[in-house]
Amino acid sequence: MNEFDQLLKQLSSIVLQSSPLIIAVCGETITERVGLINLSLDGTMLLAAMTGFVVGLQSNSVILGFLAAAFVGLLFALIVAFGSIRLKQSQVAIGFVLTLLGDDLSAFLGQNFTRIPGVFVKKVGIPILEDIPILGPLFFDQDLVVYFALILVGVTWWFFFRTQPGLKLRGVGERPESAFARGVKVNQLRYLYAMLGGALVGIAGAAYSLDVKVGWSEGNTRGLGWIALAIVIFGGWSPIRGAIGALLFGATKTLATILQQTYSEIGVVFTSITWILMLAVLLVSASELTERFINFMPLAWRRPLRRFLRVTAPMALGTRFGED
Amino acid sequence: MSLKNIQIKPILTRILAALTPVLATLAAMGIFAVILMTLGANPIDAYGALIEGAVGSPNAIADTLVKATPLLLIGLGTCIAFRGGVVNIGGEGQLVVGALAATLLGLLYPEAPGYVIIPLAMGAGFLAGGVWGGIPGVLKAYFNVNEILSTIMMNQIAVQGMNFLLRDAMIDPVQLEAASRIPQTARLAAQFDLPRLVPTRLHLGALLAVIAAVLVYIFLWRTTIGYRIRAVGLNAAAARYAGINVKRYMVLSLLLSGALGGLAGAVQVYGVSHRMFTDGSAAGFTGSAGFNGIVAALFGQLHPIGTIPAAILFGALLVGANKLQRVVQVPSALVIALNGLVVIFVVSSEIWRRRQTRVQQRMEPDNTPPDGGKPPGQLEQGEIG
Repeated sequence: MNEFDQLLKQLSSIVLQSSPLIIAVCGETITERVGLINLSLDGTMLLAAMTGFVVGLQSNSVILGFLAAAFVGLLFALIVAFGSIRLKQSQVAIGFVLTLLGDDLSAFLGQNFTRIPGVFVKKVGIPILEDIPILGPLFFDQDLVVYFALILVGVTWWFFFRTQPGLKLRGVGERPESAFARGVKVNQLRYLYAMLGGALVGIAGAAYSLDVKVGWSEGNTRGLGWIALAIVIFGGWSPIRGAIGALLFGATKTLATILQQTYSEIGVVFTSITWILMLAVLLVSASELTERFINFMPLAWRRPLRRFLRVTAPMALGTRFGED
Repeated sequence: MSLKNIQIKPILTRILAALTPVLATLAAMGIFAVILMTLGANPIDAYGALIEGAVGSPNAIADTLVKATPLLLIGLGTCIAFRGGVVNIGGEGQLVVGALAATLLGLLYPEAPGYVIIPLAMGAGFLAGGVWGGIPGVLKAYFNVNEILSTIMMNQIAVQGMNFLLRDAMIDPVQLEAASRIPQTARLAAQFDLPRLVPTRLHLGALLAVIAAVLVYIFLWRTTIGYRIRAVGLNAAAARYAGINVKRYMVLSLLLSGALGGLAGAVQVYGVSHRMFTDGSAAGFTGSAGFNGIVAALFGQLHPIGTIPAAILFGALLVGANKLQRVVQVPSALVIALNGLVVIFVVSSEIWRRRQTRVQQRMEPDNTPPDGGKPPGQLEQGEIG
């Protein structure tokens, strides 16, 4: 029984570790579904993590920290949207430069706040639900960040696929000209959802510095933004699949750490395994080979297999739409 | 329009276009001066220190050029990739892999003469970087994997590999005995040091990089393969109709781009550090050259020759910033912020400049409309800057 408890504890820590990633993936999924690529995720999350921690520390309020972080994310997303829509520039270039800027700025502005204790999110179990065996400790004996992430996934999915504004959002990302012809204000929606997605990415950054990796040090969340971008693709631009991807990533990472300690001679295999796996996953979900493989299968299998293995990007992803 | 206007205006526009990055740098330095003043430092002293540190003495100039060398090589790779319509953010990883390959060669044959090993090591770095860049190329061309993400991931894999090798198989035997076990290789044999050009730290690698710049220019604009790479970058669909194997040239441009990154790594080891070391991150060894080189290339407007002064300017900023930090006693992170500011200003000025060009194009009805060239639904990954 003891070993079982240990495993449960391990798994519940994976859920906690993955929840900021889930939030970031949801945010970026919203942005990309509407047709914009916000490549600045890595820089945004670093700067937001720093801002969230410092504001939280100074104001002694976790809420204010998260709000400030959300504002940072919103601002960066706004720059990407403005540069793309108004200045008609490559989103990739703007995003890349913002990545570097966010990294540099977070190192500079946060240098006096490294490795000091600050405020953090407290653990709150949900009564009744936390007593459910297995699921209780995994999902309902956590802190607010985890609940927020889980609810966010559900709400985003529901919004995308079950509401009219969600339909408009997807329409803008798939066929902006048709959406425009039907009277949807394409670029206005792109600004709106880019900022919403950016704010969520900012919250994800603060979720690291205020919860998962409490505190700030230079380069605290470096690399995780890129992971989130990859998981969005893995998740096929669906929040639920994205969340599963984030959890799987967290699990492989924990597993790799454990295996690395056990087999330290070949540790490198395990430290880079998450990256190699991500590459493999991108390869499987985007490749033509998978399509050929699916076509070898019996007819009845093809549809579910394709749904499971293949993903397609929103058709207008990364393109501009000129309303004028 | 009079004849006079027609002749002078394009020349003026070109001069202005070439000067925009410089003006942007000056603007960024103006903002930085304000920041310095708010911190209570005298901006004139600060910039004096920066300029003196970068070009104040023969040694300083040599240091600037040495710093500029990897930036130039990475930047040249960036030029090839972006001209070929692909994005290569994997400079850090390619540099590390190239350096590893070159170091390994030097460590395996410590007795061999320098004139044999040095060219071989440069070749090894070139090849290793090419492989590291070619993998994302193949993934992109044949498996539709986004090369921005795959190059970033290849960076991480390279760094983990480096950490592993330097802590284990390639560690300096002296460090193996010592308790500290600093993760670094033994120093390469002295005959492998790249020859110094003048009695300073300036090594042959700088000259090599400049030659590479000229070669890349000739390659891209004067050879058939280079022409095809650019054709694929400008319009992949049209290139396909013209009978160009788009996928093959996509792989080739990423491969060459990575190879130049690998060469940068080999040059760094044989010319500057003479050993490999790691602090766990990529930047510990590369000094973020893999990222700064991309910015230098954007600064040089993705032209191999334009990248030369851009890389030197960035090298000067990096070297001068050290001096600035010592003299004016500003925190080291502020100096990083100066680089960030310059980057942001240069890129946004580039955005502004392009917009101006578009406005001009719109006024001349003969040119293609600025937004009509691309069919909707196509990812415009190659278009950067």
